[in-house]
Order: sequence, then structure tokens, then C-alpha cells
Amino acid sequence: MQFASIDELEQALRRADYLPDRGLSTALFLALTLEKPLLLEGEAGVGKTEAAKSLALATSSRLIRLQCYEGLDVAHAVYEWNYPRQLLHIRAAQEGTVSEDELFGPEFLIRRPLLEAIESDEPVVLLIDEVDRADEEFEAFLLEVLSDFQITVPELGTIRARIRPAVILTSNRTRELHDALKRRALFHWIGHPSIDREIEIVRLRVPGIPERLAAEAAAFVRELRGLELAKSPGVAETIDWAMALNALGRREIDAEVVQQTLGSVLKYREDIELVRDETLSRLIEAAAAASAR
Amino acid sequence: MATGDAITRHVVTFGRVLREAGLEIGPGRVADALRALGAVELTRQEDVYYALRQTFVSRQDELDLFDRAFGAWFLRAPVLAPVRAQPAAQLSRGSEAPVDRLRPGDAEEEAGDPLELGASEVELLRDKDFSELTGDELRRVRELIGQIARSRPRRSSRRRSADRLGDQLDLRRLIRRSLRTGGDPVDRPLRARKAVPRKLVLLCDVSGSMDNYARALILFLHAVVGSGRGVEAFAFGTRLSRLTPDLTTRDPEAALLKCTEAVVDWGSGTRIGASLREFNEIYGRRALSRGAVIVIVSDGWERDDPDLVGREMAKLARAAYAVVWVNPLKGNPEYQPLAGGMRAALPFVDRFLAGHNLRSLEELATVLAGIERRHAA
Repeated sequence: MQFASIDELEQALRRADYLPDRGLSTALFLALTLEKPLLLEGEAGVGKTEAAKSLALATSSRLIRLQCYEGLDVAHAVYEWNYPRQLLHIRAAQEGTVSEDELFGPEFLIRRPLLEAIESDEPVVLLIDEVDRADEEFEAFLLEVLSDFQITVPELGTIRARIRPAVILTSNRTRELHDALKRRALFHWIGHPSIDREIEIVRLRVPGIPERLAAEAAAFVRELRGLELAKSPGVAETIDWAMALNALGRREIDAEVVQQTLGSVLKYREDIELVRDETLSRLIEAAAAASAR
Repeated sequence: MATGDAITRHVVTFGRVLREAGLEIGPGRVADALRALGAVELTRQEDVYYALRQTFVSRQDELDLFDRAFGAWFLRAPVLAPVRAQPAAQLSRGSEAPVDRLRPGDAEEEAGDPLELGASEVELLRDKDFSELTGDELRRVRELIGQIARSRPRRSSRRRSADRLGDQLDLRRLIRRSLRTGGDPVDRPLRARKAVPRKLVLLCDVSGSMDNYARALILFLHAVVGSGRGVEAFAFGTRLSRLTPDLTTRDPEAALLKCTEAVVDWGSGTRIGASLREFNEIYGRRALSRGAVIVIVSDGWERDDPDLVGREMAKLARAAYAVVWVNPLKGNPEYQPLAGGMRAALPFVDRFLAGHNLRSLEELATVLAGIERRHAA
């Protein structure tokens, strides 16, 4: 899963339909080369999760994803015993013939993402998504796993990773992560892409879209980001919207079609209501001007 | 290996520059940076920039600082000095800010040493003994101690433990016990998540303008610290002191006396921003504020830089579970948060309460018991 240079990784990501900027390519390259976890932060919708998925594609690795939430525990993140099977097994074996060792053996173990990633024989990209949502205690546990790449199951002993998974953590910064975790990881902040890059992304993800439409859609979303919105649209929204516009057979945007389709860009009613009348015409004009450059 | 040595020296020095600018750079990060540089094309400036940034920086709000340092160090670009606040320079500005003129008793303050602020008035209150509270007040205070102790904000622990009234079967134990009964689950061992008290951090302003309230609030701090583990109390004025060890004694009056000794800046001006920075840098780094409910008791009169208050409050709020600000002045119905420090802090405050009498302290206890995380996704 190694690449000789950043350029090489960039090409592999492009083949996976992902257009990283140089900063992100460098971050992913260093994560693979230095075998360190990579912490990605950035506004919602800039493609943090996408980056991990594309890295898995580009490196022909299996993507294992652990979605974090408050209250996430070992049973859901690491492993759990398959109790119904254990019970059935005792029943089937009749009296006295089942030992505890047998009952708590590998075949009764349900592997959750972390254990699966550690145990895997094939290369893995482990995506630990929205780690800021998990509790502190879980973060401390995660730190242990990411330091040693091993997990202990009391009944089975310690399981060590044969191949170190590439680890991508994402955070939306709802809280500060532990310093120790940050020290262990590389950090990259993903900003919104430049207008040219966003047009390029739209054209890559929406095949057959007219060039002008792609440019206007990207420019319009960029203008939207300048407003004070409850939720600023990310690249994912630009792509969704461009798909919708393209499906409607448009070659350029106007007030009518924007109003019809704005729901795929803005997710809050207040935000949609903000973009009306003069604001709407102003944004369309600005987008047309920006894309005509 | 002359070039290699030169790069090492360069990176080590650059790391030191960043550390002086306020970034947390340890030897581990320097080693990572060197390894990263070893992996990228050194002739490509962009790659060198990102390799250093991704190994040295771990927070978005440090990016700006890093960019300037990088520009100065590697590109020889003319830059401004890093944005580290200069407390000494700001001190001299004192009451020049318009908001400061609204401050009660400011006339004396402008005339001379802040220590002499409103001396006669303050002395009176300072001399008032705890025993001078009426019997009724005293009883309420004692009751309050119990109430606050019970109403600590709690969080649910990740771990479950055996609990006869639990809400989940303890399947591991069930299976083991079923071995004895040939697979029949005769017993039903249960387990439950333990509710453990949330960390509670109290930061109490004991400066001149807070003197009227500081006495009562120390009792309050004592009550809360006495409620068990996971409580930390600090007093601040021109700087910060940790009060927890002094407040662990059973006798509030003795605690009060010890606090007075511990907080050497008792009764002088307030530097909220600088105190919060001290807290963030020393205790915040040790994860004291993470996931905690933070209670700040202050009237928000900042004598230095309100912007610093805002910046440090932002840091604090990001790490904390929730931030409560108790402002005794809010007890006055005509009060408006005009003080610069208060205004700068408010956007990062989840609950803004008064703390001028016992009733408002009870309200605080109720709020603490049921507080919800503001920035829950």
C-alpha cells in the first residue's frame, strides 16, 4: 500500500474519481508512508469521509468504518460474544460436555470494526468517523489501540495486527480531542476547494454535464457560502445539485430552476427562505459573472 | 550528510520558533516532521509546507500562526510578530477603554493603585463574619450544600456493571451460569450503565468589583468541592490560583481563611482573559476542562483586552461540555451585559445566570443538575 511519491498517489486517487488538492494528497501520502493515523478536520461536506473511501479504492484496500456516537462502547466498536449461538451450543451438546474455553472461542466471537481491522489479512483503510462524538473514555481506549495496534479479549488473549491498517480519523470539532491522540496523528484541515477545483470535481462526478452549467453551479454555491447560513453547502451538495440540474436538461441556471432545486443545496428552511428575490438574482448574476471568466 | 544535518537543524529551530509562538511542539513532533520531510520532494515548496504543517499543527486555529512562521522562516517574508498577547503592555492601557468607565468606583481606580479600589466600602464587607449571616440564611446555606452535592451534573459511563435493577442482561455471566444448568438460563443477571458525576470546574472571580459576593461564593465553592471527586475550584483576579486543596477541609470558615491566603490578589483588579488563558494553558492541557461543566462566577469587568476574553472563552467552550456564567450583577433587572469582557464571553456561554443571593444559587444548582450539552451534534 505504499506509493513512491505524492504524484503517484494523486493519480491513483484520480482513478478512484477523487480530486484531492495537494495538501490532502500530501497528508494521505504521509499517513501511508509514516504509518501514522491521519486526523481530518474541516467544514461539513468538504469530503473528509470521501477521502478515506477514495483512499481505500486507490489502494485496493478494504474500507472498514467505525461511526462514532456518544455512548459507543466496546461491544459495538471492538467485539461481542455471540450469546444466542453460545446458548444453542450448550443445548445441542447436552449436559456436561461443553467447556468454558470452547464456549468463549473464536467461532463465537462477533467482530466489530476495530477488531476486524486489526485481524484482517488484507490491507485495510480504517475510517473512524466523527471521533469527536464518542466519549472521552472511548477516545482513551482508541488511543491504546492506535498505539499498539493490538486488542485484548480476556478469554482469547491479545490479538496483534499483521498488517497495520491505514487509519483516517475525522472530526467536526464539536469538542477538542485529547492532546495525546492529536500528538499521535498527522493533522490536515480541509478547506472548501478553489472554484476551479470545484468545477473540475463537478465535471468528474457528473459525467456529461455542460461545461457552463458546471461552472455556474460551482460559482453559485461559492456565492452561497458567503451568506450567513445555518448550514453552509459543501462539495457534496454542489455535486447533488449539479446532478439535479443536469437531469433536468439545463445548460445554465436561472431564478426559476434554482428555486425548484435549491433543496438539494440548502438543507434548512430558513436558509432557503434567505435566498429569494433580490438575493437570488444577485447571486445568479454573480455566479454568471464568475463562471464567465 | 552535511545537507541532512542542515535540514535537521533547520527543523529543530523552526519547531522552537513555533513553540515560542504558542504551539505545543514536543520532540515527537520534530521527529515526525523530519521523517515527513524525508518522504517528500524537498524541491517542491508546497510539499515541504504541508509536510511540516501536518506534523507540527494539530488545530485549525493554529494554522494562521503556522503560516506566518513558515513565511518568515522559510520564505523570508516580512511578517508581523505572532499574535501572542502581551499582558504587560496591555496592563498599562487600564481604564482607557470606554466600557471601563462604566465601572462602579472607577474614579478611585484611575487615581492610583488598583489595590486601593473602593477601600472603605469593601473593608466593611470584608470584615463581615460568616456568623453574621442570620440563622435563617445559615440554614439555607447548609441545605444548599446538600442540594448541590446531590445535583451534580452526571454523565453515563461507557462501562456497565452488574446491577440487579439493570436494563440489560449480563449475557457473559448468563452464558457462564447456563453451563451449570445445561443451557437453561435460570438466572438473569442484569447490568446497567453507571451514572458517574460529570467533572465540574468552578472559576470564581474574587477581584475588587466582586468583593460583595466573593464571601458568599466561597461558601458555595466549598459546598460544591465537598460534594465529591471530580470538582475543581479556582479563584482568579489578576491571575489564577487553584483552590481545590484548600476547600477540602470540612470547616467552611477555616477554608475561607485559607482561600484568602491562597489568593494573593484578593481585592485587586481583574484580568479575566489572562486568567482564562492561564487556566486553558495549564489545566486545559491536562484535559481538566474536557467534557466538564464549567462554571465561571464573575461580573465580566475585564481591565485588559476583551478580545482575549473572547478567544480564551472560545477555547474553553470547545473543550467543555457546557459553560455556565454566573454574574451577580444580572440580579439587577436593569442590568445589561455592557462590560467588554462580558460581551466578548457571552457567545460562548450556554447558561447565563445571576448569583447575587441564595435563591439564585439554588437556581444555579438546578441548572447544573439538568444541564444539556449545547453543541451536541
